[in-house]
Parts: sequence; structure tokens; C-alpha cells
Amino acid sequence: MLSQEKNERLTAVGPGTPMGNLLRRYWWPVATHDMAGRVPVRRRLLGEDLVLFRDAGGRLGLLAEQCPHRRASLALGCTERTGLRCGYHGWLFDADGRCLEQPGEPADSTFASRIRAVSYPVAELGGLIFAYLGPAPAPLLPRYDLFVWPDVWRDIAHAELPCNFVQIMENSVDPYHVEWLHGRYGSFVKELAGEPPVRVVTKKHVKVAFEVFEHGILKRRVLEGQTEQDEDWKTGHPLVFPGMLRVGGGGIATFQIRVPVDDTHTWHVWYQTYRFDTPARPQASVPVYQVPLVDSRGEWLRDYVDGQDICAWVTQGPIADRSREHLGRSDLGVIMLRKLYFEQMERVEAGQDPICVFRDPAVNVCIELPMEREKFGGARAFRQMWLRESSIRYSPIRDEVLGLFGDVA
Amino acid sequence: MTVGFCPGCGADLSSGTGFVQEFWSGEDQNFLCWCAGCGLMCTVVISARLLSHEPGH
Repeated sequence: MLSQEKNERLTAVGPGTPMGNLLRRYWWPVATHDMAGRVPVRRRLLGEDLVLFRDAGGRLGLLAEQCPHRRASLALGCTERTGLRCGYHGWLFDADGRCLEQPGEPADSTFASRIRAVSYPVAELGGLIFAYLGPAPAPLLPRYDLFVWPDVWRDIAHAELPCNFVQIMENSVDPYHVEWLHGRYGSFVKELAGEPPVRVVTKKHVKVAFEVFEHGILKRRVLEGQTEQDEDWKTGHPLVFPGMLRVGGGGIATFQIRVPVDDTHTWHVWYQTYRFDTPARPQASVPVYQVPLVDSRGEWLRDYVDGQDICAWVTQGPIADRSREHLGRSDLGVIMLRKLYFEQMERVEAGQDPICVFRDPAVNVCIELPMEREKFGGARAFRQMWLRESSIRYSPIRDEVLGLFGDVA
Repeated sequence: MTVGFCPGCGADLSSGTGFVQEFWSGEDQNFLCWCAGCGLMCTVVISARLLSHEPGH
């Protein structure tokens, strides 16, 4: 149980809230590369309505949605050689929010120099567009390994989920759910469909451990039949603070990025890399696809691992009511994460940078993160399961990836 | 039953940045406490029973 007041502190992400202030110290994906074009698009991040555009000069811009003139939506705007022109009265703003033109005002007016649209820094990396909504000076956009590895294939899946991001993050420090949600319940769903269980995720956890480290929380597990010499314990894999999980094995590595849209919505991004034994030709661009959430009857899809996770997250409610929960010893990872959020909120309130904020270019060339290769005791078995039972099942390059790994469909 | 104040410095943990998280271990009610003021992290245990062991002699 957590008090209602603490639960609100943990989950409210809007401007001026303690968690909102913490999260604004980080760069967040705001779009995939294909979303930003000449036609401005509405995006929402940390409770703020925004408009993303790429002007005819190729520069990305991210402005608060409402025009500072008469508050019309800048999504109804025209991209120009430089900047975005409001569709209502033609005021023109550049990517820094400067007002460049006010067509209806007298030619000698200096009014434009006193007007600014709210603008935020944006940057592209690895096929994602990141935004920083916090105070200046912005830290460096972290160059985590999957975003910058030169010799891998990638794809990006995404879906907007109707729940707060914290309950999704808590799932990442809850290893026991694997053997029950994916092992037992997943097998039950398979059984009803006349299919065999997914053996890779049914192994019992003998012990788990969590450790706060420089990138967040490193988690380890020993499964039935394993020892501490297995990579699941020896290496583990991290929750990357404040909003990512790194997971994978057998040549597949994924960031599950939980982008807080607002208090009750999360944009979930599955950022995959594939490293083949024999290097493949370079990709022309990173494929992007949406993950379906419901079947033709409107029921949550739950016949695969990511669908089962999504089901568990959203059925906790838009914001999980932690004042009515009952935690046990198997929830110590969840408790550790909550404590880490509270601790880092305190650091921000004390005027310090929280963890995982990078300002030294020398350490931001390629930030390597630990992760097992022999996941769940077997790289190949894990990979074959993951290509079938994760959101990759919807990837437009799945069959090509299977072939390049030498696996069968 | 909850823990309202830091066992180290007495700061009010129910408001502001203090953190109190209840969890159960068998019949024992546990409260993990972290105080932003003094930095103390500890677990307060409301024990169902008290066990004591006399050292060997």
C-alpha cells in the first residue's frame, strides 16, 4: 500500500508536478522519423499539447499547439522555407519560437519582436525524434547503444496505451510475472486455442535480485535448472531510468520505451535491433509499424507476450490505485523503483541533476548497457520464441529477419 | 497502522518527499521508509510475534 498522496506524487507528470519536473530533465521520443514532414502533426508529451513539423528547409520544430496570437491550433498551419505559419492569420514562427512575420500588423510594427511561441529542442537519433521539455541548458541526448550501433538492422513498433507510465515501468522490475502472466496464463490462452504452451517462459524463478546502478536498476534471475553462472544472473538486464527497459537475447535487443503522454496515457515504443551472424546490407530506412491492441471483438489481444503485458498494465486502471494494493516480498523490485523515483524527485528539487543525465560528450559516444545473450538459458530458443511471441510478430521485416538469422517461420 | 515519522530524525514522512511503502512478509507488516531529510532508509516491522534466541553459553 502506498498513500493516495504519494501515489499522486508518483504518477502526475504535468508541468509543475514533482514527477513532471523530474521527467522534464530527460529527452523523450516524441515521434518516429516518418511522422515529421511538411504537414504538422499534433503530439502530446508530459501533459503538454504540441505540434511537430519539419519546415521546407529541413529543420525540425516542436511548438506548443496553441498559437500565441488567438490560440488557434498550429497543427492547422503551413510549413514554410523557415518555420510554421499559423493557418488562421498567417503569423510565422521559426523552430525556436521566434515570430518572424505578422502579416496583418502595420509594416513598421515591432510587435513581432515581443511575441514568442513556446518551443522545445528536438533532435533525431536512430529513427526516433526526441524532445526536451525541461529547463536550459538541455543535457546531451543520450546515445544509448541500440540507437547508434552501426552494423545492425532496426525496426520500431509503437502503440498508445490508456494507462499511466509508472505501472508499465513497475512491470520491468517484477520478474515473477514472466512465469505466471506469460508462462501459466499465456499457456492457458494457448491451450484454449489448441496450441502448445510457450516453454521458454514457463520456468520457475529460483531467485531474483535488483541493484541500483548508474543506468537505473539492474535485475538478475536464476531460473529452475540454472546456476549463478548463467547470464540471466551473471549479466542480467537493466531498467534504464526513468522510462526504458532493455530486453532481448540471441541477437535481438529491444528498448521498450514508456513515453508519458499524460497522467493516463503512455506512448509505448518497442525499438528493436537485430544483429546477424553475417552482416546484412544496410537498411534504407528504419521500418515503423503500429502494434494492434484489440481483436475484431474489441477484446484486448492476449495471445502473445507483449499483448499479455499490455493487458496487465491497462487493466490496473488509468492510474493504478496503490492505496488498495497488497505488496509482498516478491514486489521488492517494484518498491525499489518507487523509492528511486522519489529519491530522484528530491534531487531535482534540490537543484541537482538526477541520474542518467549526460552532459559530458566524452561519455556520450555510445552508452553500452549490459544484457544477457543467452536469455532464459538459450539464445536460439529465446530468439525463435521472441520473433513469434513479441510485438515483432507485426513487423513488416519479420520474415526477412527470420531468414537472416537462419530461423524458420 | 502506518509509519508517519522518520525513525532516525523524526521528520514527517507522510507529506513532501518522504517515502513509506508497506509490504507484507508472512504475518509481518513491513514499512520501507526513506527520509529525504536525513537520508535514512530502513524497514520498520510490525511483527506478529517476537522471537528471541539465547546465545550459547
